[in-house]
Amino acid sequence: MTLLSVDGLRKTFGGIVAVEDVSFDVDRKEIVGVIGPNGAGKSTTFRLLTGFHTPDAGRVEFAGEDVTDLSPDARARRGMIRTFQIAQELTGMPVMQNMLLAAQGHPGERALTSALGVGGTDAFEAEQRDRAEELLKLLELWELRDEYAGNLSGGQRKLLELGRSLMADPDLLLLDEPMAGVNPDLTDRLLERILDLRDQRDMTFLFVEHDIDAVMRISDTVVGMHNGAVLSMGSPAEVQSDDRMLEAYLGGEI
Amino acid sequence: MVLDPQFVWNGIVVGSIISVSALGLTLIFGILNFINIAYGDYMATGAYIAFAVNAQMGLPLVVAIAAGVGGMAAGAVLVDKVVFEHFRTSSPVTLLIVSIGVAFFIRNLIRAVWGPSGNFYDVPIEANPSLFGVRYSVEQVSIIIASLLLLAAVYVLLRRTRIGIAMRAASDDRTLTRIRGVDTERLVLYVWIAGGAIAGLGGIMLGLDAQIRPNMGFTTLIPIFAATILGGIGDPKGAVAGGFAIGILQEVSVVVIPSEYKFAVALAALIIGLLLRPDGLFGEATR
Amino acid sequence: MALLDLLLVVGIIAGVYSLLAIGMNIHWGDTGLLNFAHAAFFAVGAYTSAILTTPVLETGLLAERVVGFDLPVVAGIAAGTVLAAGLGFVIATTSVRLEGDYLAMVTLSSAELVRLVIHNEAWLTTGAQTLKNIPRPLESTVTTLPVSYDLFYFLLVWGLVAVTYLLFERMSSGPFGRVLHAIRENDDVALALGKDVSRFKLKSFAIGAGVAGLAGSLWAHYVYAISPVMFLPSLTFLIWTAVILGGAGSYAGAILGAVVIVVLRQVTRFIPGSVPFADQLPYIRLMFVGVVLVVVLYYRPEGLLGNAQRLQAGTSEGE
Repeated sequence: MTLLSVDGLRKTFGGIVAVEDVSFDVDRKEIVGVIGPNGAGKSTTFRLLTGFHTPDAGRVEFAGEDVTDLSPDARARRGMIRTFQIAQELTGMPVMQNMLLAAQGHPGERALTSALGVGGTDAFEAEQRDRAEELLKLLELWELRDEYAGNLSGGQRKLLELGRSLMADPDLLLLDEPMAGVNPDLTDRLLERILDLRDQRDMTFLFVEHDIDAVMRISDTVVGMHNGAVLSMGSPAEVQSDDRMLEAYLGGEI
Repeated sequence: MVLDPQFVWNGIVVGSIISVSALGLTLIFGILNFINIAYGDYMATGAYIAFAVNAQMGLPLVVAIAAGVGGMAAGAVLVDKVVFEHFRTSSPVTLLIVSIGVAFFIRNLIRAVWGPSGNFYDVPIEANPSLFGVRYSVEQVSIIIASLLLLAAVYVLLRRTRIGIAMRAASDDRTLTRIRGVDTERLVLYVWIAGGAIAGLGGIMLGLDAQIRPNMGFTTLIPIFAATILGGIGDPKGAVAGGFAIGILQEVSVVVIPSEYKFAVALAALIIGLLLRPDGLFGEATR
Repeated sequence: MALLDLLLVVGIIAGVYSLLAIGMNIHWGDTGLLNFAHAAFFAVGAYTSAILTTPVLETGLLAERVVGFDLPVVAGIAAGTVLAAGLGFVIATTSVRLEGDYLAMVTLSSAELVRLVIHNEAWLTTGAQTLKNIPRPLESTVTTLPVSYDLFYFLLVWGLVAVTYLLFERMSSGPFGRVLHAIRENDDVALALGKDVSRFKLKSFAIGAGVAGLAGSLWAHYVYAISPVMFLPSLTFLIWTAVILGGAGSYAGAILGAVVIVVLRQVTRFIPGSVPFADQLPYIRLMFVGVVLVVVLYYRPEGLLGNAQRLQAGTSEGE
């Protein structure tokens, strides 16, 4: 069953076409990897899907609803949560606060309920703390819960960012180069975690990634992009054996 | 509704002052990348130095103008050495807050030295002649001529001299120039000299047109800033065009709105300018 | 006795400034918004309160004002707070999406426009003239008690400071404050996590402006008489200095900063007029405020009670 449907996306910047006629579907519980050489339009596509750019043409549908013109936060509230390429944890906030921030539908996020602690704020907060504890322990960040996020190492930041997005309990997790700058050991653990989440929590994943090995290892479907368009799409094996992709990579990066 | 040419003339005079002042502000912004709230007080300082030389020491106005412009150029460098230099790596917002402190200091220093009330330059008072029904004063004509001379000088500086070309390049992209081996600290020095001198001149023009008061620059800061924004911040051409546009619109607006509210024109220009951003009038803004 | 009276006056001013600083702290300290319109919120609170609680003046040559309601003081204070919050909301809607320094310029201009309106619309505000005879709350009752009115007002103001402090402290450390802090740190992240950033900024702006309005009402009802020159941008900058000095993000710091600034300004009143530069003292005081602002930003950017660790976190890149 289709969760995310992308149809004919187009985006230009000052007359230069960044993305042209990009279409693909993501099914529930599917893991889709988007690859392509530098300048292929991966990042622009990602920003179009997450609402940080508005397309010139085309349509994005999420769970049957047209979200093309929705703002990033409105998409997030519908269950599309994104991460950032460079871990954008909130450096001046402790790890635990980063996690709690991601909780959706918090009754205490109104000024008055926050000040007076009414409207079920405290109970909800306690519940979220338990969830955060579970996730932080899983990611081996529990000991660092009171540390400012800015003081974590690069790998820990990546984990925190992943943990934070999981706190939002997304239906679709959009990961922007989750493996960039992460050591191979951690990459393996992250990949395992993604598979677990898919199986245990019925989560769907779309990720843009440079690390082709990682993409090939866990993706159900791979979307290969080049020059702003989808060049090749299919199973990892199909895309890998597609000569056009090989050409794109050889032509694009020397 | 007939447009009184007197308003247009007044607008050109005010526009000259705003243009000159906006040019200095935008040069400083282009290189140092922060909004200097103390800029208005630089203008006032220039005006007061000239006042001291002219009205208090009794020297001719030309000497006083030279002293005010030169004095403020030196003053701007001094403030940089004492204050801003220590905040080179700070964020634009921090620098803006720092400049509030500087503004406070300068404005109250002026009040302490020259007192809080208004002053005038020692210029001969003559009946204002009129031409085609437009009354004008010698001061107003001088303001327009001085502003045109300054604009021409800055144009030559930015287009023809090495340092001017480096300034423009740095305004477009600071890191790029650094890579090319331009000494940025030297550039910063020249920008303060130029920006301070222009602020001083702007202040003197303002004092000639109206009155010399400690808060004269600060209260003019908003139209000046609006001109800078409207022209695309960091863009000298735009600042000048924006300055004339706001000056003329502001004076002509009295046909439509009560003259007490002509300031609202600057506010409207500011908001429209920000909505047009990042392009400004000529689409060359830096951010 | 005279000294005690003077201390009470200083204390009342410090309390009003503390409220202003608390309002500024939710903007800058919690949300990272540069608000340069604080004097306008203060003015709206003061004038709303004054207009609502005074009758139309019938005597006097310069009594041009034709509006007045003679309502109870409580109504004035409530309306002053709400209207200032409303103005904050309106100003914020035009500019809350702007980058920090541009927001500063738009708010500064808006504040000047507000002052211009107060200055020119004499039918409503008595214009450049002083709006006089603003009633003091419970004045006739308090005079029958064995306490001075200033002591009563001191306790009233500081009682309100205490309540406001507690509410804001809780708000800041609760889930609402958490979102504001996230916006201060990086609003893209807040967006990506589903927070309606503009809405939170608007709320922050309105709430802080409301407290400034409350301060304005309290000010008007204490000083009897107000005029536009009390609401110059330099007031906004004084409050900025207080917040930076106390430590942005800390409500206790905001109060401490406000008290220090007020004491700094008032204590020199005790210096005899015979010392050199006595005439220049008011200006030298303000020059000193400027120096304090710059020195604090350089040597102690976290201020007196701010959180240095927070500012330093993330300044050195993780591996």
